[in-house]
Amino acid sequence: MNLNMNSVETLVAQIHGLSGSISDINQLHSLLKQSEDLFQSESTRLAPLLTELDPFMHSLGYLYILDASTSAPISKEQASELVLSIARFINLCAAEQIRLAPDKFTSVCKRFKDQVMLLEDPMRGVAPMLTAIRKLQLSSEHLTTLHPDFLLLCLLAKCYKTGLSILEDDIFDVDQPRDFFLYCYYGAMICIGQKKFSKALELLHNVVTAPMSILNAIVVEAYKKYILVSLIHVGQFSISFPKYTSSVAQRNLKNFSQPYLELANSYGAGKISELELCVQAHNEKFEFDRNLGLVKQVVLCMYKRNIQRLTQTYLTLSLQDIANTVQLNSAKEAEMHVLQMIQDGEIYATINQKDGMVRFLEDPEQYWEKRIFCVDSTDVALEFCFRIMMLSRKLTDMDEQLSCDPLYLAKAGKERQRFDFDDFDSVPSSKFTI
Amino acid sequence: MASSSSSGLTFKLHPLVIVNISDHYTRIKSQSLPPSTTPHAPSASNVADAESSSPPQQSPRVFGCVIGVQRGRTVEIFNSFELLFDPLTHSLDRAFLEKKQELYKKVFPNFYILGWYSTGSDAQESDMLIHRALMDINESPVFVLLNPSINPAQKDLPVTIFESELHVIDGIPQLIFVRSGYTIETVEAERISIDHVAHLKPSDGGSAATQLAAHLTGIHSAIKMLNSRIRGLNHYLLAMQKGDVPVENSLLRQVSSLLRRLPAIESEKFQDDFLMEYNDTLLISYLAMFTNCSSTMNELVDKFNTAYDRQSRRGGRSAFI
Repeated sequence: MNLNMNSVETLVAQIHGLSGSISDINQLHSLLKQSEDLFQSESTRLAPLLTELDPFMHSLGYLYILDASTSAPISKEQASELVLSIARFINLCAAEQIRLAPDKFTSVCKRFKDQVMLLEDPMRGVAPMLTAIRKLQLSSEHLTTLHPDFLLLCLLAKCYKTGLSILEDDIFDVDQPRDFFLYCYYGAMICIGQKKFSKALELLHNVVTAPMSILNAIVVEAYKKYILVSLIHVGQFSISFPKYTSSVAQRNLKNFSQPYLELANSYGAGKISELELCVQAHNEKFEFDRNLGLVKQVVLCMYKRNIQRLTQTYLTLSLQDIANTVQLNSAKEAEMHVLQMIQDGEIYATINQKDGMVRFLEDPEQYWEKRIFCVDSTDVALEFCFRIMMLSRKLTDMDEQLSCDPLYLAKAGKERQRFDFDDFDSVPSSKFTI
Repeated sequence: MASSSSSGLTFKLHPLVIVNISDHYTRIKSQSLPPSTTPHAPSASNVADAESSSPPQQSPRVFGCVIGVQRGRTVEIFNSFELLFDPLTHSLDRAFLEKKQELYKKVFPNFYILGWYSTGSDAQESDMLIHRALMDINESPVFVLLNPSINPAQKDLPVTIFESELHVIDGIPQLIFVRSGYTIETVEAERISIDHVAHLKPSDGGSAATQLAAHLTGIHSAIKMLNSRIRGLNHYLLAMQKGDVPVENSLLRQVSSLLRRLPAIESEKFQDDFLMEYNDTLLISYLAMFTNCSSTMNELVDKFNTAYDRQSRRGGRSAFI
């Protein structure tokens, strides 16, 4: 035992010594990798060593020791202290050093999240996790394994705004497919909570159409929410999948979400009574999936959409007529609905309370909102142009890469007709191995 | 024949003259192209053949007169007209010249015959005869020479102006040609029309895309040149500010007057129109990029589906990729 402790202390001394320049740190990294088992065996006694190390200067060494010492099961009393120390480490560590050992960092942060959830205080974990993500990311377009954990904490802590800030970034590199699914799903839930339905729709769309070889539960749940959000936001739902959806999803998703598809059908029919019947029929299923809140919003949307349809036919209408057409119970309810819609900006109208008439007006700023290219915003226009040029460049790169992919070439070669007199040249077919 | 002139005259050449001469030369050259003859072995008995077939490689020389105004020490050459050259007498057609001179006098009473022009790489001895012949119209005519061979390395115009001077060579006073410097002078109207004529595209100049590309390339090179010139000026001014170069007030005045020329218009209506057009162009390029991106994405998705999606293309032959 003592022998081991001595070697651990020599390691600590080496950590102190070798944390200077980049080459030293690489050397240290290989040393630490070799001494993995040493750390594992001494995991219980490593905690006091942490006080000797500085989390900023010796981040790599600190990380290894921290990882080893937290791998043992932690009791509830120690949890709070551990949470504090890990949070401190995350705030202080040096990003370049921890990027050398990303999986260790990820496992430490995951344990951090578990402890925080165990303490039932997710709020404490939100800010450190955000810092951790920013330090681990190679660029702002990189999706790490910590992203979905962070979003989960935001959801549980109900601080949606912080979660939204992460969702603003475009994603280009993904570490693990599972991260992507979870990230989009949680992100969509945060957006739904903030009533940003367009972004939620986009995220759910990404989950449903992501490439996959087998169906997973995340996609099934996401598809159910996708139907509901699409009904709320767009007002209709099309069952056909875009062509970039995986064939696995195309074939199997519908089987798992029957009640939702029926809901979508009855929504399309346009009658409130039918919709309510449908909701009643599948009430337990919706409740089991915890989508009842969304379903209620769907019903509310139905009323809104019907009233909006009225604006296109009538210039003025009495409240009673509105109630009758939209199948509301009374003129008072109709007035409540219209008032709410005017406040939310979904409709432009004035209510004359004396004779109970509603006058529908034109949107005064109809095209103003949609402007990006107007006379005083040339910089914005230029920025859009630059962004799309970057995107175009990335897409052509990806296209070229994919064209050189041997898997693609093999399959593309197979499809060509066999005896093409024009070119007997090098089309790889399945007969010849590359 | 070389050496620079010492007469102290300043020559100003209008681009119209250059275009005229080059047009004349091109016309004559393209008209005189012999029909392509099949090469057969030259035989000794074909002396007559050899005589009749003119060597097609030699470029024909064209001749003409230049007219303009001489005010004091400045000779400004405005225009030119063509003349027929009689190879037998090695002289220009006199009667024709006088008739033309009369006609031009009626339209441009100020213009006098200042000299003559021809094409070639250098002035020759025989040209002196023509020069002397013109000396009775103008005591000291000028000879404008255009070199029709295209030399891509050459940056300047292939136009040289020669004067005649009396030099004593071997004890005999002789007239020889001496080169003179000249500047190009132009009026706004002339510049626009010459520009238009010089940039005529052939009628089958390709689709609208190639014409647009040619047009934009021209604009691009013009802006590039402007940029490099301004940068040179900027460097110079910075050096002057630092003190590396002695301060020259006249140059500074010229630069300042140049800078004050722009902006040419400054009004609100102009700003509005300008920004609107700018935004329209940006919008169009944005739309084009968008379409480009969408098409790349489409192809990418197709490729991805072919490569990675199992069971999607089993069996039937799909369309050619």
